[in-house]
Amino acid sequence: MPLDVIMPALGMAQESGVIVAWHKQPGDAVAEGDVLFEVETDKATMEVEAQGAGFLTGVVASDGDQVPVGDVIARITDTADEPAEAPQPKDDTGAAQPATDDLPEGQTVIMPTLGMAQDSGLLVAWMVEPGAKVDADDPLFEVETDKSTVEVPAGVSGYLAAQLAEAGEDVPTGQVIAIISAEAPAQTVTRSAKGAAPAAKAPEPQAAPKETKAKPAAKLESPKARQTSDPTGRILASPKARRLALEQGLDLYRLVAAGVSQPFHASDIETLAAMPDEVAAPAGAAAAASLHLTADIPAEGFTAFMAWATETAGMTDGAAVMAGLAGRCLDKASAVVAVEAFGQRRLFDVPGPYLSAVTPVDDATPNLILRDLRATRISGLHLGGEDAPVLSLTTSGTGLTLTLEAAQGQITPAATLSLLGDFAGRMEQPLRHLL
Amino acid sequence: MREITLSQAVNEALAEEMRRDETVFIIGEDVAEAGTPFKVLAGLVEEFGTERVIDTPIAEPGFMGLAVGAAMTGARPVVDLMFGDFLFLIMDQLCNQAAKTHYMSGGKLTVPLVLRTNLGATRRSAAQHSQSLHALVAHIPGLKVAMPSSAYEAKGLMKTAIRDNNPVVIFEDKLMYQEKAPVPEEEFLIPFGEANVKREGTDITLIGTSSMVQVCEKAAEILAKEGISAEVVDPRTIVPLDEATLLASARKTSRVIVVDEGHQSYGVTAEIASRINEKAFYHLDAPVLRMGALDVPVPFSPALEDITVPTPEGVAEKARMLVAGEMIHAA
Amino acid sequence: MAKAKTNTEDYMRMYRQMVRIRTFEDNANQLYLSAKMPGLTHMYSGEEAVAVGICEALTDDDRITSTHRGHGHCVAKGANFKEMFCELLGKEEGYCRGKGGSMHIADQSHGNLGANAIVGGSMGIATGAALRAKLQKKDDVTVCFFGDGATAQGLLYEVMNMAALWKLPVIYACENNGYSEYTKTEEIAAGSITARAEAFGIEAHQVDGQDVLAVNALTQKLVARARKGEGPFFIELMTYRYHGHHVGDINREYYRTKDEEKDWKDNRDPIIRFRAWLVDQGIASEEEIEAMNAEIKEDASAAVEYALAAKYPDVSEVDMHVYTDITHACA
Repeated sequence: MPLDVIMPALGMAQESGVIVAWHKQPGDAVAEGDVLFEVETDKATMEVEAQGAGFLTGVVASDGDQVPVGDVIARITDTADEPAEAPQPKDDTGAAQPATDDLPEGQTVIMPTLGMAQDSGLLVAWMVEPGAKVDADDPLFEVETDKSTVEVPAGVSGYLAAQLAEAGEDVPTGQVIAIISAEAPAQTVTRSAKGAAPAAKAPEPQAAPKETKAKPAAKLESPKARQTSDPTGRILASPKARRLALEQGLDLYRLVAAGVSQPFHASDIETLAAMPDEVAAPAGAAAAASLHLTADIPAEGFTAFMAWATETAGMTDGAAVMAGLAGRCLDKASAVVAVEAFGQRRLFDVPGPYLSAVTPVDDATPNLILRDLRATRISGLHLGGEDAPVLSLTTSGTGLTLTLEAAQGQITPAATLSLLGDFAGRMEQPLRHLL
Repeated sequence: MREITLSQAVNEALAEEMRRDETVFIIGEDVAEAGTPFKVLAGLVEEFGTERVIDTPIAEPGFMGLAVGAAMTGARPVVDLMFGDFLFLIMDQLCNQAAKTHYMSGGKLTVPLVLRTNLGATRRSAAQHSQSLHALVAHIPGLKVAMPSSAYEAKGLMKTAIRDNNPVVIFEDKLMYQEKAPVPEEEFLIPFGEANVKREGTDITLIGTSSMVQVCEKAAEILAKEGISAEVVDPRTIVPLDEATLLASARKTSRVIVVDEGHQSYGVTAEIASRINEKAFYHLDAPVLRMGALDVPVPFSPALEDITVPTPEGVAEKARMLVAGEMIHAA
Repeated sequence: MAKAKTNTEDYMRMYRQMVRIRTFEDNANQLYLSAKMPGLTHMYSGEEAVAVGICEALTDDDRITSTHRGHGHCVAKGANFKEMFCELLGKEEGYCRGKGGSMHIADQSHGNLGANAIVGGSMGIATGAALRAKLQKKDDVTVCFFGDGATAQGLLYEVMNMAALWKLPVIYACENNGYSEYTKTEEIAAGSITARAEAFGIEAHQVDGQDVLAVNALTQKLVARARKGEGPFFIELMTYRYHGHHVGDINREYYRTKDEEKDWKDNRDPIIRFRAWLVDQGIASEEEIEAMNAEIKEDASAAVEYALAAKYPDVSEVDMHVYTDITHACA
C-alpha cells in the first residue's frame, strides 16, 4: 500500500519548509527509519525519516523547493515503478493580479441627492485643487440645486486624488465625481463626467421604497440650505423623538425654523404636532413633489381583462374599470378617482369593492388622478405634485410603467407603497387580484 | 413580617440548606468557631460540626481548588472568600477550572459550588479590602453571579445558589450585614435571572446593584419631592441577567441611569447600558448613563473614600439633568 | 478492589496498556506531523510505566487528575482509542464531544477528572476529590499526577499542607522526567523534591519510573494504606520523555543531547524491559507479544481512520454545556 511522504509540520507557526537535500533518489529502496530528506526550519535543519519500507517514487519536489506543510512530496510504494499519476504539488506561486485601473485608489465621493427635483446636480465649482489635502469638514465643491447653491463637504480626510467632473457640468446624482486618497497621490486625474462608466443611478426600482424614505430624510437633514446649530446640517434629536416624528409624519425642521433649541426630545414632538399645518395641501400651484415612485410591469393584463369583462359582464367603460381598480387601492371606504386620457378628464365615484358599482360623477374633488398616457410616446415623467396624488400609466416595451407622484402631506409614505404596489398587481393580473 | 439582618439571613439560608442536603459544606478561613470576621456564620459549626464547617489555612488558591475537586466528585461546597479583593488570588481555580469544566468535558463533569464573598467600600479598609470585582467574574462564561441588595434577597438567592448545579459567585455588601429587612419565615427561593422592580415610576429608570439599590431608592425619594417619578429596578443576578424587565422599564420611562459600585470604566454598568442602548434605542429620550465608583484605587482617608462611590444626591442630580433634557455631554 | 498483581492476566494487561500508550502516542504524533490534528499535544512516550504501574493499582472508583501530558493517564485509567482520537481531532464522538481536546481530555466514567492545561492546575482538584471522599466516608483514593516542573507552583504546597493536616486519601505522584519544558529540572527545582513533601510530614518515596512492577508494587501498598486513612503520600517517579515538551518541539539539542535520548530509549525503555522480563519468566512468548503488538497497532490505525472520518460537533453545540441548566448560553 503506498505511503504518502509529506512535508511535516515543523513547530509552531511555520507553514512551509525548504527541502535542503534529498538523501534518497527516486527508485531507491528505503527501510522504515531511513532518512529521506533534510528540511530547513526556522531554527535548524531537520531530518525526515521514512514511515515505512518500500521504494521512493512519485517525487515531485526538488532540493531547494519551498513546500507547504502537509503537501505530499513523494510516495513509498511496493515497487520502484513510477505511479501513473504523480501527486500534484500545490502551486501557490501565482498571486492574484491586481486589477489595473486608471483611477487612483481612495474613498469615492458622489454627487449627492440634495432634495432636488431633478436627478442631477450642476457642479458649479471645485473648492479644492487636485492633489491638495482636504479635511472631512472642508467644502469640496459647490452644487446648484433648484433652491440655491450648496457647498458639499468632502466627508473624509485625505488628498483630492481625482476630479471626475468639470465645473459647469450636470452630473447625475449618485455618480462618482471625486476620489480622496489617504496618501498624497503621485499623479491626479481630472476629467469630464461625460463618458464615465454608468454610475449606480439614483435607483428607479420596481416599487421604490428607498426613494420615499430618502426624501423625508433629505428634507430633514439637507445641509447648508438650512440654518441649524450643527455645522454639518444635522438636526440633533433623541432616538425617541425621531421615531415619533417619523411615525406621525412630522418634519423636525419645522422645530428648527420655529427656533426650538436642540437637541429635540419627545416632548418637543408634542409641540411640533400642535403646530398649524403648513404643507398639507398647497393651494393651487404645485408644491415640490416629495414623493415619487415607479413600478414596472412586464406585461399588462388589463387589456385582455377588459375584453373579457366587456363580453361576459357588459362592462364597456375602460376608464371606469380602471378607476375602480385604482380606487380599491386607496385606504378609503369610498373614493373619487379622476381618469385623464386623450386630453379629457372624467371623474368616477368608487363606492365599494364592486367594479360594477363605479359610476361617473360630474363635480367632485378627486382623491386620486389616473393619467393614462399609454397611447402617447411618453416614457418617463416628473411633473410634481398636484391637487391629489397622480398615478400615470406609460408604455414600457410590452408592459407598463406606473408612476405615482404626490406632494408631501397628501398621502403617507406607507399608503403610497400599498397604492402603487396593489395597483401594479391589478394591472398585471386583474382577475387574480379581484378574486 | 419579622425583620432580620442580612447576616442573619445568610446564616439562615446556609443552615437550612445544610440541613436539607448533607453534601453541602462550608470551607474557608475562620468559618468555624469565629464564624468569619463578620460573624455571619456564627453557630453553624456548633450545629454541623467541623467536618461540615471547615477552617483552612490562609491558602485561597488551595481551598478554592479543593472546593472545585470536591464539587466535581459529588459534594456541594460553599467557599467563603473573606474579602472580594482576594478574588485575584483564586482566579485560576475559579475561572480556568470551575467555570470551564462542564464545557471542556462536553457536559459530563459538573461543578456545583458556591463562592460566597463580599464587595463595598467606605469601611476605611483601603484599596486592597474594599473592591467590588463582580464585573471580572461576570465576564467569564460558565459562572453565575448574584448580588443580593437586602436581607430578603440574600436569603432567597443563597438558597438558589446552593441548589444550582453550576459554579455561582455571590457578592454580599460588607457594609450591609447589620441592615434589617422583612424576611418571611417560610421557605422561599429567589430564582436567578429575575429582576425586581423595587419602586414604580414613569420619568426615569434607576437600575442599581447590591447596596446601590438603596442608593437609587433614596435618590427616588429626593426626586419625588421635585415631582420627578423614578422607577428603581434591581437585577438581583447579573448572570443570568433579566434583560426583559430592564428593557421594559427603559421603554416605559425612556431614560436610564445604571448605578453600581464597580469602577466606572469597563464594568457592569457598561454592559447593562449597552444592552439597553442596543435593544431599546428607539425609546430613549436621553443617553443611558453609567454611575460607578471612581476609577481610582479606594483611598484610605475618609474625606477621600466617601467621594469615590455613587450617592443618592449624585444620582438625583444626574436624573434631574436627564429629565430636563440637558446635555450631559456636548453633542 | 485491586487484587494482588501476581497472575499472568495482570502482567499481560500491564504490558498491553504500556504498548497501547506508546502506540497511541506514535499515532498522535503522526497526526500532528501530517497536519491533520488541530492544535498541539504533549507526548507521553517513555513514561508508560508510571501511568500504567499506578493506574493498575486503582479501581474505577478511584480518581486521578492528569496533566497537559495526559494521554498516558487517560489510556491507563481505561479509556478507548476511538473516543480519545476523536477528542484529539475535535470530533463529536470524543470523550468531551470535541470541546476539550488533548489538554483537557477527561473520561469521567473511569474516574479520570481530566487533563489540565494549567501546570499544577489540577492539584487542588485532586486534593478536593480526596477531601470529599473523607467527608462522605467513602474509601476511594485520588492520585494526582504532575511533573517535576509543577513543583514550582505554589498551589502544590497549599494543598499538601491541607492534605497533611486533614489526612486526606490522596497520593501525589511526581513524574520527574528531568525537564521542565525546555529546562533541566536541577535548574528549576532547588533542593530535594521528596523533601518538600516530608516537610509537611507526608511520607515520600522515590522509585524507578521505568520499572512498571516496582511502580505498581509501591502504589498498591500506598493505596491500601490511604484507604485506611493513613494518607496522604508522595511518590517521585524517575522517568524520561522521549519527545519534546510538545509535538512541535523537534529541535531539542539546545537543551538536551541526542546521546542522552538514545541512552534512555535503548537502555531504559520500560516496554522493552518488561517484555524481556515477561519472556524470561515464561509468562509470554515473543510470538504472543508480537501478535499483541500488531493487534494494538491495527486497533489504533482503525481508530485513527474512524476518527478522521467522524463528524465534528454541530455548530449549534458551540454554546451548549456552558451551564447545566441553560441549553444555549448565547441564545
